[in-house]
Amino acid sequence: MHPDQKTIKPRVIRLDNVSKTYRNGTAALRDLTMDIFAGDFYLLTGTSGSGKSTLLKLLYGEDLPSSGDIWVNDYHLNTVKGNKLAELRRTLGIVFQDYKLLPRRTVSENIAFVLWAQGYSRAEIDRRLPPALKMVGLQHKATSFPEELSGGEQQRVSIARAIVATPPILLADEPTGNLDPDNSRQILNILKQLNKIGVTILMSTHDEALIRTSDLPILQLSNGQLKLINR
Amino acid sequence: MARSLYQAEYLLRETLLGLRRGGWMNWAAISTVAVLLLLFGIGLQGSWQLGEFFNRYGNQLEISAYLDTGVAAKDLQPTIQKLPNVTTVTPITKEEAWAALAKELGSTDLKATTTQLSGNPLVDEIRVQANSPTAVVGLAEALKKVRGVETVQYVGEVVKQVTELNHNLRFISFGVIGFLTLSAIAVITTTLRLVIAARSQEIEVMRLVGATRMTIYLPFLLQGITFGLAGAAIAWIFIQSLLITLSRVASQQANLFQGLLIDSGKGWILPLVLLSFGGTIGLIGSLFAVQTIGRR
Ligand SMILES: Nc1ncnc2c1ncn2[C@@H]1O[C@H](COP(=O)(O)OP(=O)(O)OP(=O)(O)O)[C@@H](O)[C@H]1O
Ligand SMILES: [Mg+2]
Repeated sequence: MHPDQKTIKPRVIRLDNVSKTYRNGTAALRDLTMDIFAGDFYLLTGTSGSGKSTLLKLLYGEDLPSSGDIWVNDYHLNTVKGNKLAELRRTLGIVFQDYKLLPRRTVSENIAFVLWAQGYSRAEIDRRLPPALKMVGLQHKATSFPEELSGGEQQRVSIARAIVATPPILLADEPTGNLDPDNSRQILNILKQLNKIGVTILMSTHDEALIRTSDLPILQLSNGQLKLINR
Repeated sequence: MARSLYQAEYLLRETLLGLRRGGWMNWAAISTVAVLLLLFGIGLQGSWQLGEFFNRYGNQLEISAYLDTGVAAKDLQPTIQKLPNVTTVTPITKEEAWAALAKELGSTDLKATTTQLSGNPLVDEIRVQANSPTAVVGLAEALKKVRGVETVQYVGEVVKQVTELNHNLRFISFGVIGFLTLSAIAVITTTLRLVIAARSQEIEVMRLVGATRMTIYLPFLLQGITFGLAGAAIAWIFIQSLLITLSRVASQQANLFQGLLIDSGKGWILPLVLLSFGGTIGLIGSLFAVQTIGRR
């Protein structure tokens, strides 16, 4: 993205002097200030423990910042709660680093659940489910349970769940962390297609090969600080 | 419309899933409710029947005076007629009473029976009608003092005693029902808390993908209400079979006992009361339980 283009696009994520120090004293993030605009696609990189997941958790409201303010889609994350928070989360697609699939629910049910929760009609759910499964190559696993899947397959289910409702913002925490290079590239291609139709994406990764071969701008976390590397 | 139908289908499925996963814990909750509603239902049905019994017999103005052996009803009639608050006086000779009794017992050969028993065992009776329900007790006392009268009987007295007993029982049963209601709510709350704890991971994921509070809560509320309704249904089935058994036994028993089992005319109200009581208990129990689901 050209810097001058950003100014006319709406700002969808805003961090203002955000710090996160965990109760045990770990300072994961320090004084982050950052804007992300509609249609942006960033790779969030950094060594293990650098705070990538922490940052994403703050963005979808699983945790609160120790100081500073966060806005996502005009929701003030510091104060939003209850059904307002649920409303915000329904505008987000989230791929969790640990997948967070519902145990004892089939792959289809796991993916459909997001649509149920958002009040989609049955016809709409039936219409959206097969392409989502196909996109991540899991049509044949539709009726399997998560514990019957490999790590990479579970990861792909969580990606399908995150994108099935075509959310305007996608937060993906190492979505390719458990995939082989082929599958990784495929997932990245899916995300790029979503980005083309306007989805804002923030994807954390420590996959060196993937970072090298893609031309996406990088937000690098180290010592709790963010550094933007435009390419 | 299609959307709300689908939401209903979703809720139903989630509720059934919860019930299936609850296993034996469901029965702990359902049977506590059933025991509570069984006692409550019996109490309620009983008090309705007593009320109906009282309505039917309690205001009866008739007093029966049974005379000493050898005293003729005809002879006492003028004396009794002069007592205050008396409207009519009907003498019944022991022969008439004997014939009526024999007929009731199904004996056709009156003479044979009489000789078998070596004579008519009954005494003459005078039926006295009081002019108002409040005068019945005083009149009965006055009758007792009449020379030649051995015993005095009136239904009102029995009814009065039964009503008094019922009154005292009601006091105790309010206590018992109250205690059991709290226990049932506690059991439902505990059961659902266990179900919620077992599904906490799932609930957390639901929240992270944006499920509203209601989407998450409703299946548990419905599960609690189901406990209550199931308990009510079981209690009602028990009460119904109890009533049928009792009326079967009573049909072979004395009249007064039968009187206690008259149809209260509220047959369809009882299941409704039980279901709404059960449903309310289930709702309250589950509302307490969902408080444990995280705040933010
Ligand atoms: N709940 C927590 N309580 C205390 N410390 C935590 C907690 N979660 C994370 N941390 C610490 O915060 C720092 C950042 O963790 P985070 O999970 O954000 O790293 P990450 O960049 O996602 O790492 P990885 O690449 O391994 O996933 C780490 O030092 C970690 O130990
Ligand atoms: Mg992480």
